[in-house]
Amino acid sequence: MTGRGAAKAAPLLDVRGLKVHFSVGNTVVRAVDGVDIRVERGECVGIVGESGSGKSTLMRAVTGLLPNVAVTELSGEILFKGSDLRTLSGRDMRRMRGEDGFSMVFQDPLGYLNPTMRIGRQVAEALPPNLSRAEAKRRMYELLREAGLPDPEFVAKRYPHELSGGMRQRVAIAIALSASPALLVADEPTTALDATVQLQVLDTLKKLYRERRMALIIITHDLGLVAELCDRVYVMCRGRVVETADTVTLFDAPTNAYTARLIALSRRDGRAAGTEALA
Amino acid sequence: MFRFAINRIAQAIPLMILVVLLVFTMLQFTPGDPVQAMVGQYPVPHEFRAAIEKRYHLNDPLPSRLIQYFGNLLHGDVGYSFQLQRPVLDLVLERAPRTLLLAGAGFLIGVPLGIAIGVVSATTSRRSVDRLWTTATLIAYAIPGFWLGQLLVIIFAMHLGWLPTQGMGPLISRTTGFAWLLERARYLALPAATYAIYEATRAAKLMRASVVETLGQGYIITAKAKGLSRRAIIWRHVLRNSSLPVVTVMGYAFGVAMGGAVLIETVFSWPGIGLLLIDAIRARDNQTIVGVVLFISFAVIVMNLIVDLLYCALDPRIRMGK
Amino acid sequence: MTSPPTPDSVAEGGHRPLGGIARALSAKAYRFLRALAGTRYGLPGLIIISALALIALAAPWLAPYNPLRQVDTSAAPSSWQHPMGTDNIGRDLLSLVIYGTRASLAIGFCTALAALFVGGLVGITAGYWRGATEAVLMRLAELFQTLPVIIVALFAIGLFGASFWLLVGTVALAIWPLEARLIFGQFVSLREREFVAAAIVADLPYRHIILREILPNALPPIIVQVALDASLAILIESGLGFLGLSDPNMISWGQLLFTAQDFLSTAWWMSVFPGLAICIAVIGLNLLADGLNELANPRAAQASPGLVL
Repeated sequence: MTGRGAAKAAPLLDVRGLKVHFSVGNTVVRAVDGVDIRVERGECVGIVGESGSGKSTLMRAVTGLLPNVAVTELSGEILFKGSDLRTLSGRDMRRMRGEDGFSMVFQDPLGYLNPTMRIGRQVAEALPPNLSRAEAKRRMYELLREAGLPDPEFVAKRYPHELSGGMRQRVAIAIALSASPALLVADEPTTALDATVQLQVLDTLKKLYRERRMALIIITHDLGLVAELCDRVYVMCRGRVVETADTVTLFDAPTNAYTARLIALSRRDGRAAGTEALA
Repeated sequence: MFRFAINRIAQAIPLMILVVLLVFTMLQFTPGDPVQAMVGQYPVPHEFRAAIEKRYHLNDPLPSRLIQYFGNLLHGDVGYSFQLQRPVLDLVLERAPRTLLLAGAGFLIGVPLGIAIGVVSATTSRRSVDRLWTTATLIAYAIPGFWLGQLLVIIFAMHLGWLPTQGMGPLISRTTGFAWLLERARYLALPAATYAIYEATRAAKLMRASVVETLGQGYIITAKAKGLSRRAIIWRHVLRNSSLPVVTVMGYAFGVAMGGAVLIETVFSWPGIGLLLIDAIRARDNQTIVGVVLFISFAVIVMNLIVDLLYCALDPRIRMGK
Repeated sequence: MTSPPTPDSVAEGGHRPLGGIARALSAKAYRFLRALAGTRYGLPGLIIISALALIALAAPWLAPYNPLRQVDTSAAPSSWQHPMGTDNIGRDLLSLVIYGTRASLAIGFCTALAALFVGGLVGITAGYWRGATEAVLMRLAELFQTLPVIIVALFAIGLFGASFWLLVGTVALAIWPLEARLIFGQFVSLREREFVAAAIVADLPYRHIILREILPNALPPIIVQVALDASLAILIESGLGFLGLSDPNMISWGQLLFTAQDFLSTAWWMSVFPGLAICIAVIGLNLLADGLNELANPRAAQASPGLVL
């Protein structure tokens, strides 16, 4: 049961031997220590692991969105549509964030939205600059609707702090979709939300995945989410990938003891509670 | 926001009353003869003394004197300067605009300059600039403003002779129109430059810290993820959010600068309210001293109020209530 | 920074005689100074301030001439005999500047300590009683913080005349809110911490808790603030001296600048050298504060703030 659209063509994203090391105080933290990841067009891949496993750092390094910390090592290959992202110039990299490129959604939507700018403007900002104002507005509303917000005119005029957590997360998704990416990375998209809202956002993601046929990478420690959404899974522990398989195989017959433990924990505590046990 | 405004204004009024009380109290402790204190250095003839005692109710009990004082203030009677032979209010009103001109010019030049420097130093990726910056701030913060003024006078007015050394204008001026403006600008240049450099340093340091903090925020990463150019990120996201706290602090500083004007006005003999205060102190003209202090206190309180309201208006999070 | 009390240390604290405490304190002081000297800014700061302190103490022996006596032609520029030139009356500027160190440092530290004392009292009171007391006291601090220092000082001096202690008092009046807020914050946050709770549970005497637990952790930022206060006080005093309102019985750099004001065209060195002295003193104190700050919170990663694309 490989992901849909998995041709024998080159994968959309091909990460080889990625290492990301930070210096914290006097020590070096090996956040990502030699990781290989592969994602085909239209696939939905999950990256799971506990906090500190490096899953977030991995994708941030891939998308070039690491926070301002002292990086002592960043090596390996990051091939996106054939080009190594590490060798790209600033301008070319920015182009990769545009049409048919990649995009990322983060865990804490409040911190990731500009508090002094209206939502509409923040969403429209990511649209191609050559659109007319009317067209941009129309597209912006469309994006908000697609992200699961039924009243885009209302939302567009608001400021981030006026919206609920679930709405903000959907705004973040709308922003990420605005450039029509080929790959969307979602870092803990449901963790900061209430249970009911989690389901809603999950449905939105599912719908997007089906309708847009874009590749999706879900970073989470919620195995239930992965089971619902993903075709394939990578399991990370302490900066390394310890196991990878398609979802069904992974859950039925994990080959790695760590994976087995994760699955057992999540099963025992039920889907909703599993998040806390693994965090 | 309206409620916030009313709230702040309501807070400011008791503050002003408190200031008046404090000033009045301090006046009671002035050593020596109160009549002499009011008059200053000049000897007090006998009839005059009786008239003053009557007019200012000096022999009345304390509470009624206080009420009298408040009453006078509300009527605009802040006292009379025996040294300069004019009501204090007149003096203050004549000189305050000049100080405003000076401080205003200095701030209008200095703050934007400082903000620009702050942004550049915070967003540059070259370590050498960063180092240069830290050293420059360290030194700049140690330079007393008035000494800077003296240095500027020495260099630009004395040695280079480009600009006048002091005053607000020449003793006799026959220029009109644009030439007059230019002439006045020459006199304003050095003192305003002193202010500007001084405040630019402070603004730059604040701005840098603010920008560094903003850069650590999540929405900057979102902006990057959107594919915005570095310039667009700085202009649209960094600048506005970083300059907000800086502008407010500098707003408060403007109020304080009205007080600090004393030093710079002394260096340049700029006939503003600061110089008025100094002259009054030297001549022991207590009524003027009090008048100026009251004015400056009120100016500070009002300025703080304006800045608070401005901040409220500019930050949507505060504007819309908690 | 400190570890929770062990039975041994408690026993020591209770039984050691005074001499033992003095020895322990000086050992701690020595270690502290060494750590400070290791930081990037602390070392130059320490050097500068120590040098200035030495100059202040040894002024009578260091100064080549009697600063108050006319020794040469007036307004003479730098020369071998007078490295800083002479002032308008003919006094040796170098000697004047050297003696000026005493006044400036004295004012700086007295004021900082006074502000510490007042601010500390207010801060601890507000932190201990909380509630209404806190609201009133902190508002008061805010009020004092917004008053322009120079004006308050001028007002007081104008009415009461200038003297050393009046200066110290007025400047301290302007600075104490900074200390008060800091100490208040420290007190409140540390009060809640686990090791204090642990000490209370272990039934240790209150005095011990304050001395051994709260104080060592609260001290660093407070010391930083004291250093900054001192530099601020020096700047303010120089301003007052420049206006001719400092204590006329002492020589201060600000007063030297006051005299220099009328001679900017003929004797620029009268302004430049005292001004430089002020700068050096303030830089020294600020460097010291930075060094202390580095000790207090070692930054985990010196993040270069540039936008990484």
